[in-house]
Amino acid sequence: MNHQLLLHQTRRHFLRDCSSGLGALWLASTASRAWGASGPLKKDPAHPLLPANGHFQARAKHVIYLHMAGSPSQLELFDYKPELKRLDGRDCPMSMLAGKQFAFIQGVPQLLGPQYEFKQHGQSGQWFSDRLPHLARMTDDLCFIKSMHTDQFNHGPAQLLMHTGSQNPGLPCAGAWATYGLGSDNQNLPGFIVLTSGGKNPDAGKSVWGSGFLPSVYQGVQCRSQGDPVLFLSNPEGVTRSQRRLTLDALAELNQRTAAEVGDPETLTRIAQYEMAFNMQASATDAFNIQQEPAHIHALYGTQPGQESFANNCLLARRLVERGVRYIQLFDWGWDSHGASKSEALNGGFIDKCRSVDQALAALIADLKQRGLLDDTLVIWGGEFGRTSMQENRGGKKMALTGRDHNPLAFTVWMAGGGVKPGYTHGSTDDLGYEAVVDKVSPHDFHATLLHLLGFDHTRFSYPVAGVNMRLSNVTKPGSKVVKEIVA
Amino acid sequence: MIRVMLLLCVFATSSFAADAGKIEFNRDIRPLFSKHCTACHGGVKAAGNISFVYRDKAIATGKSGEKAIVPGKPQASELIKRVTSTDPDEVMPKPDHEPRLSEQEVATLTKWIEQGAVWTESWAFEPPVELPLPKVNQTDWPRLPMDRWVLAKLEAEGLAPSKAAAPAEWLRRVSLDLTGLPPTLEDAQDFLHKTHQSPSSHKPYEEVVDRLLKSPHSGERWASMWLDLARYSDTFGFEKDPHRDIWPWRDWVIRAFNADLPFDQFTIKQLAGDLLPNPSGDNLLATAFHRNTQNNTEGGTDDEEYRTAAVIDRVNTTWTAWQATTFGCVMCHSHPYDPFPHRDFYRFAAFFNSTEDTDLNDDFPRLPFPDDAAKRDEMARLAQEQTKLREKLNADGSSLAKMKWQPWSPKSMSTTGGELKPGKDARIDATGTLPIGVVYTLSMPVVQGITALRLDIFPDSDDPKKWPERGSVLSHLKLSVKHADGKAEPVKLSDVFADFLAGPFDPQATLTDDANGFGGYPVLAGPRWCVITLDKPLPAAAGDTLELVMEQKAASNSGFQGLPLRHFQWSISKDERWPALATNEQRKVTTARLNEVRAALNKIGGTNVPVMVQRSTNAQRATRVFTRGNRLAPDELVEAGIPELSRPPEKQHDLTRLDMARWLVSDRNTLTARVLANRLWAEMFGRGIVETLEDFGTTGARPTHPELLDHLALRLRTTHKWSVKTFLREIALSATYAQSSKASLALIERDPKNTLYARGPRTRLTAEMVRDQALVVSGLFAPKMFGPPVYPPQPEGVWNSAYSGAKWNTSTGEDRYRRALYTYAKRTSGYPAALTFDAPTRDACTARRIPTNTPLQALVSLNDPAFFELAQAFAKRMTAHGTTLRDHIEHGCQLLTLTKPSSAMVETLIKLHDNALKEPGTDEANAMALVANTLLNMDAVMVR
Repeated sequence: MNHQLLLHQTRRHFLRDCSSGLGALWLASTASRAWGASGPLKKDPAHPLLPANGHFQARAKHVIYLHMAGSPSQLELFDYKPELKRLDGRDCPMSMLAGKQFAFIQGVPQLLGPQYEFKQHGQSGQWFSDRLPHLARMTDDLCFIKSMHTDQFNHGPAQLLMHTGSQNPGLPCAGAWATYGLGSDNQNLPGFIVLTSGGKNPDAGKSVWGSGFLPSVYQGVQCRSQGDPVLFLSNPEGVTRSQRRLTLDALAELNQRTAAEVGDPETLTRIAQYEMAFNMQASATDAFNIQQEPAHIHALYGTQPGQESFANNCLLARRLVERGVRYIQLFDWGWDSHGASKSEALNGGFIDKCRSVDQALAALIADLKQRGLLDDTLVIWGGEFGRTSMQENRGGKKMALTGRDHNPLAFTVWMAGGGVKPGYTHGSTDDLGYEAVVDKVSPHDFHATLLHLLGFDHTRFSYPVAGVNMRLSNVTKPGSKVVKEIVA
Repeated sequence: MIRVMLLLCVFATSSFAADAGKIEFNRDIRPLFSKHCTACHGGVKAAGNISFVYRDKAIATGKSGEKAIVPGKPQASELIKRVTSTDPDEVMPKPDHEPRLSEQEVATLTKWIEQGAVWTESWAFEPPVELPLPKVNQTDWPRLPMDRWVLAKLEAEGLAPSKAAAPAEWLRRVSLDLTGLPPTLEDAQDFLHKTHQSPSSHKPYEEVVDRLLKSPHSGERWASMWLDLARYSDTFGFEKDPHRDIWPWRDWVIRAFNADLPFDQFTIKQLAGDLLPNPSGDNLLATAFHRNTQNNTEGGTDDEEYRTAAVIDRVNTTWTAWQATTFGCVMCHSHPYDPFPHRDFYRFAAFFNSTEDTDLNDDFPRLPFPDDAAKRDEMARLAQEQTKLREKLNADGSSLAKMKWQPWSPKSMSTTGGELKPGKDARIDATGTLPIGVVYTLSMPVVQGITALRLDIFPDSDDPKKWPERGSVLSHLKLSVKHADGKAEPVKLSDVFADFLAGPFDPQATLTDDANGFGGYPVLAGPRWCVITLDKPLPAAAGDTLELVMEQKAASNSGFQGLPLRHFQWSISKDERWPALATNEQRKVTTARLNEVRAALNKIGGTNVPVMVQRSTNAQRATRVFTRGNRLAPDELVEAGIPELSRPPEKQHDLTRLDMARWLVSDRNTLTARVLANRLWAEMFGRGIVETLEDFGTTGARPTHPELLDHLALRLRTTHKWSVKTFLREIALSATYAQSSKASLALIERDPKNTLYARGPRTRLTAEMVRDQALVVSGLFAPKMFGPPVYPPQPEGVWNSAYSGAKWNTSTGEDRYRRALYTYAKRTSGYPAALTFDAPTRDACTARRIPTNTPLQALVSLNDPAFFELAQAFAKRMTAHGTTLRDHIEHGCQLLTLTKPSSAMVETLIKLHDNALKEPGTDEANAMALVANTLLNMDAVMVR
């Protein structure tokens, strides 16, 4: 192939072929090298998000991860503990306190029974409190892990651990790993999209969707409910789409000449990236326009276009999955039910938080199901740790409102679709719901399982960094394992 | 097409030949061990007691009873037997781990053992050597010795250097490289004129480089590089991510680069400026380098956990920035590939483990730094005097305290929370829920003539390995005598003398009604004691009762963890020397001076900046090895020290942070000069001689030109005495750098990453340069230097951290148009445009930015309103020049590329302009803005 021929790759030609032609050829030629040997995956620099396969057949092609930032109380939602109800108000036994560190509890707190009524639901007979009536109807689609535990008891570090496998900022999160390993099915949207609700970003900030040592193209792109969904997606004021087309055509001509003159292959990559940006302007705008949805869908989710809400984000998540986006991460802020103020009390803000997510959660699962998307979309719901079986006594004092402190020893996560067993519960906590005791699952086990569902052997899915083949499932504390029991 | 894509993407793998001649351990054998063996037989895991990281373990007898390596005897070496075995239970690597070694690899190993299994440490731990310059054929090409090394390799590869870049290409590149800013058209015209006048003269080039290095903007450009390593940020990090005033340190870095502060001084001041004799204000300010660590103010986070995290970060940052060594591995276990034992990490951590900072929400300790340098020095003198005076006053009492004390048990005691119980001897134990602000009241009959009380605070455990534990602070002591008639009379207390002074509290505060006081704060690291004196012996009448009211209002972990006394004891003294201290004339003078100094410090003004402050000798923290890196599993005590592998200084004991800093820049250190030379080279060429700027170890990339690297390291350290500017000047004027970046397809195919330097560098602009270039050509650039960070436009709602009310108030006036370096750097929410162009979040030390090329970058440079505003201004500037559209466009092209554009280029842009104008509602200004927008996005403009 000569220089002229190389340059003959005009802009449109370059792009039209990108998924079926060029890229596919590139993949075919390197696929055999992609896995097995150590070292980074070989990526086409012009198309770093081209779809790729894992080590084996994936059960889940897409992930929607619903993170309730602040950590909802498992004891008021799913982990029913009649014994705790019986002991409500008693002094917490010393055996539960020895050697434990709490964020706010001091000295000897009192046990706090479940604050809401519980009932079994569906054929699977799983327990729900009366706070989530809509979700309870989906019980036979849900797969619970009630024995999650972590070693972090502050929000920022615990959120990082749940997403990156380390409590310190700077490592790639699960979404970045998934997008790095699998690419995305849509080249005109980011492969990994983050949506937030509740008025705040998560405590750990943007590090929870960072790409760490992986190339930055795999980091989560935070999309917004106000203004451009993707930063700088709109043309500047006064610039029309056809004018943007004109500028890109001019730019391509200029850059083609540079490519011919200088011969730097990065120039051709740049031409392709600008074209992708142009396509993204159209496809992202379209994807984020929930006004296109019919009235019955809005009724199902309880969505109101134009607002920042968890319900809107759930609907967006479905639209993004439909468009092939690999990993969608939602954060909903405001679940930190300490009881230190009305807005964060179990008998205050918690009630509103439950109400604000219940219908949308049920709608998301039902909607994915009715479109046949649930089979290969893994929905995950959870916080960063659990809440204590004791009433918080901040500063060593009795508090007016009801609330619980952070508890790293036990929390509940549920999943649906994407290769997990429906209507199934894995693991359990002790009689007071204080500590996971049966079939315990660590964040690293959780990551190993997530990667398994995405088609990866977590011990082999690595990236070389400073001499260590780093993994999501933690190289420094080996022993993480796939929770096979929950895999359908 | 397939072939083209392949050639763009698949990089040649290096191979080595097991040909005749000498096997070289580092070149031929160590990579084999790292690739196939050390995962199981390494520094972390030594299966069968065999490790191929340490020579003594490789030649020792393994668990099997066989020796893996018998030097000189391959047939007797178990290693050879195993790698050639056909028995699946015997063969190594195990069949399920790795494929068999190739015949060539086995032959190499065999030959190496035959030749005596000579073992040398990795090249990076051997001192650099200056080799005789190589012979070259094209003798008229090299200008400098460095060019000879480059050329020798090119000729060995059958390649020739590219021709010199056109003057405009060179000028644009060198200006961006040395100052981060593009040249002005005037600078360009002057230079192009001179080179045109005397094409063979080198003088115009030298003039340009000298002018650029003299520009104050060069300090800003090189500071940008250093800020990544220093993880500089204007916030604390973590949840609330509050503001931190540490920009005066950033300004110190800029001034240091501008003044060409030699790198050895630059190092010593930043790592240990506080330990230099009579440190100047700037010496103290420089130490803020290691106060760029994160501070976690999230409610309820353990201050000690995050203090430890900061110490660990300081170790890792020091090793990454100065040694390009992945020392972080050694935190949990011995290094997997390089022979650093586990305890080396903690020996080194001990250098950083005894500074005063301890993750407090006010970032304690901070010192006020005025803008004026003389005033900064004045502040430094005052701060040091204050410390000395406080120590002196305290020593009066702490030395006297070595006397016999009479233990004193209360007759009755009560508490507002929890429970008090008598413990062993006269101790009192407090249990149960002890809320913040808990008050203990103790009483007993008055003893005649009490002059001082001594308080002993004990930890929960007697085992030093369990320390430190939750703090324990007496914030306020009130003493009164209750007479038989029920009347109470307060007893006047005069002084508090502590066992040692440390932390933010003055022990005297125990006599006042605030949360400050005496004790272990925020943690208790062992027993503590203090003496509280009366101004005269206490008289006693029959029936008098002495009452002690002990308030405990201090709290740690961002104010949520109460720090009550849990085990304590009171003793009394009747010694007359205690009240005498209150009237001692010498003490009065010292106290008066201390008050003056404090007043002067309060008045001096300036910005409070967190700095490194060493704790006093008797307040040093114990450093222990953390088992598997777990802070909660401390093991043996260690003394501060430098790894054996790294050629430590001769002095073996009592090494200080200052000794460590001096060792880093001493001739004993094999890495600092190489790492810096490589980093500066990478900044100029887009790629290091060692590509992995962060890792010179076994698993990092090997140098492409080892002799050149050593030459440059020695040139920098010895010839130029660490002058960064002199070193950069040479690189900028080298023949290697002067080459054109144009490349034939054949050359691209041969060397896609330009590792041989057969052409000039062509690198994408850094995030900072993308903005700065647009600022300059738009004409809006505000050259103002220094000062607090600024807020150029960013989209609404980007800052939205939990529990933070911080607002992005967009700067107006010149602050809107400052260099990117001055943009507010918030850890949890970086400036979006910069992050998109690969700027790091500054959570941790970043040694290398990996440039990417993504559609999101295109969206920034096309659409970001902050960027488009510059395009509009650029358009106006173009329109102001000449009379025709062609004039305007030619001028715009020239401002960016410094040369007269081709007519094809101008035609393309005229076509764009004219077609854009056809859109309804588009006026001339809009159309020109689109032209400017396009120009600013050209590939040739986005690279240097």
